[in-house]
Amino acid sequence: MSGRSISVLLLTFLAGLALIPSAAAQGDLAVVVSPGNPIANVSLGDLRKLFNGEKRSWPGGMRVKLVVRAPGSRERIALLQFLNLSESDYKQYWTAQVVRGEADSEPFTAPSIGMVLEAVRVLPGAISLVYAGDLKPGVKVIKINGLLPGAPGYLLR
Amino acid sequence: MLRGSSAAVVFLVLTTSVWAQDSAPSDQKAIALLVEQVKALQQETSDLRDKVKKLEADRATASPAVPATETAAPQPSQVMAEAAPPESSPELAAAMHDLHGIQWRGFGELNYQGLDQRQPELGTYGFTPGSAANFYTGDFDLFLHSRLTEKTSVLADITFEEADAQSYKLDLRQALLQYEMNEHLKISFGRYQTGIGYYNSAYRSAAWLQTTADRPLIMEYASNGGLLPTQAVGVFLTGAIPSGKFGLNYIAEYGSSDTIRPDLNGSGTFDDENDGNHVLLGWFARPDWAPGLQLGGSFFHDKISDSEISLTDRFGQTILNSYVVYVGHGIESLNEVFLIRETQLATGFVSNMPAFYSQISRRWGRVRPFVRYQYINASDRNTIFNDVGLRAGPSFGARYDFNDYVAFKAQLDHTQRQGLPDLNGLHLQVAFTF
Repeated sequence: MSGRSISVLLLTFLAGLALIPSAAAQGDLAVVVSPGNPIANVSLGDLRKLFNGEKRSWPGGMRVKLVVRAPGSRERIALLQFLNLSESDYKQYWTAQVVRGEADSEPFTAPSIGMVLEAVRVLPGAISLVYAGDLKPGVKVIKINGLLPGAPGYLLR
Repeated sequence: MLRGSSAAVVFLVLTTSVWAQDSAPSDQKAIALLVEQVKALQQETSDLRDKVKKLEADRATASPAVPATETAAPQPSQVMAEAAPPESSPELAAAMHDLHGIQWRGFGELNYQGLDQRQPELGTYGFTPGSAANFYTGDFDLFLHSRLTEKTSVLADITFEEADAQSYKLDLRQALLQYEMNEHLKISFGRYQTGIGYYNSAYRSAAWLQTTADRPLIMEYASNGGLLPTQAVGVFLTGAIPSGKFGLNYIAEYGSSDTIRPDLNGSGTFDDENDGNHVLLGWFARPDWAPGLQLGGSFFHDKISDSEISLTDRFGQTILNSYVVYVGHGIESLNEVFLIRETQLATGFVSNMPAFYSQISRRWGRVRPFVRYQYINASDRNTIFNDVGLRAGPSFGARYDFNDYVAFKAQLDHTQRQGLPDLNGLHLQVAFTF
C-alpha cells in the first residue's frame, strides 16, 4: 500500500471520528425543538423564560409547548437545577401558572427519551432538553448563546 | 429506488434472455421459466410500490406539520437528524389530546382555628370567633381553563365558600375571556383579581398554593374583611416591555370593583364603598441576572363612598403599592408595602393608611417553616376604615407537604390592636389540590 493510500485512509478515519459526538458533547444538555421551528439560537436568559413559562410564544407567534422528562430522570434533575427549583416547588409553580392563566396546562411529561424526541418531532412549537448522547433523528438542536453542545464554553451540562 | 429496481430487473431479464438465446436458442422451457420469473418479479415490485405508498400516507397522517424535506436537509448552524422512522405512540397522542378541552384544577382545605379574644372580632370562611376553636372548610375552588383558539382562552375560578352555620355561598371569583395577541399584549375581559400587589395575583384563592394558612390581612378578599378592592369586573391588559435583561412587564386595568366589606370589629355592619370605575397602572420586572427575583409596583385610583355616613359623600381613593419578591433555591421572601390614601372630595380632608407585610420561608425537605409580620395603621379620623385602627403582629408556623397534593400547616398568630386586647390565635390547616 502506497504512502498516499495510507494518508487517505488516515484522513478518512479522522473525519469519521469527528462525526462521532465526543464524550464531553454527550454529557452536554442539548436544547431540541421541532424541525419546523425557524429558531436557531436563544440566549440563556430566554431559555430560562421558555422553561418557566414566562415566554409563551416563538418569534412568529407559534405557541411554545414544553416537553419535560418525568421526575427522577437526569434530564428532569438538570432542568430543576437550571430553574433553581425543587421538584415540589416546580409542581407548585406550574399549578400556580395554570391558575393565573399564564399557562394552558403543566408541561407535557414524557416517561422516556423516545417519547420526548417523538413529541418534539411532531408537536409544532415543542422544546425540550435531551443529553447530546441520547439525540436521535428527527429533531433540531439549537444553539445557546451561540454555542452548540460540545463547543467550549457551552453552558448546559 | 423503485425505478432503479425496475431498471435492474429489465436489465437482468434482457441480459439473461440474450445469454439464453446465445446458449440455447431452442430451449423454450427455459424461456418460459424466465418469463415466469419476470412476472413474479414484476408482481413483487408492484407489491413493494403499494407498501411504500401506504407507509408514506401513514407518515403524512402522523406528522402533518413536519415536511420530510425539513428533516432530511442539514443546515450548517444546527445539528439535524437524518430521516426518522415514525414511531407509534398512542400515549403521546392521548397526552396531546389532553392539551385541548377544559383543564380542571381543584383546591380544598380543612381548617381548625381558635382565638383568645375577649372582644368581638370578625369571623369568615366559616370560622366562628369565640373562646372555643372550631373546624371549618373555608374555600373549595374549581379552576378551569380552556383554550378556544391559538390566541384565545377562557379562565374561571368557581369557589364554594363556607359561611355561617355551615352554609355555602357560590362566588365566581374569576371569569375571563383572554386574547393573547403576542407576548407584548394580552387582553382579558371579565371578572379578575386586581393587580394591586403581588399576593393577590400570585395565589388567587387557593390555600394549597400559599405557604401560610391564611392571606395577609391587607391582601384578604374584601368580602372577608380585606381593605383593598381585590376583585373587579372590566378589562385589563398585560404584556412584556422590550427591555432586554430587565424583563419588564406592564399591567393596565379599567373596571368596577363595587366593594362591600364587613367591619373587622365583629359589629356585623358592612361598608358599601359604591365604587366608581377604577384605573390601575402597574409594572413588574423579572431580571435575567437574578432568576427568582420579581420587583413591581402599581398605582390604583377610584372614587368611593362611606355607606355608614352617606353614599353621596365621595372620596378619592388612591392605592400605591410596591414589592420585592424572591422565590428560588427553596427560599420564599415576600415583601410588600402599601399606601392607601382617601381624600374627601367635599372637604379635601386627606387620610393616609400605610400597611406592609413581610414573609420569609425556607424549604428543608418536606418542611417549610415560615415567619410573617404584618402591619396596618388606619387613622382614627379615617371614617371608611374606622374599624381597622392599628393592627400589627407576627405569625410563625410551618408547612409540611405529605406529597405533591396534600399539605399540613400549623400557624400561631399574635396581633396587637389599638385600644383593644392583643389577639393570640392557633390555625391548623390541611390544604390539598386535585
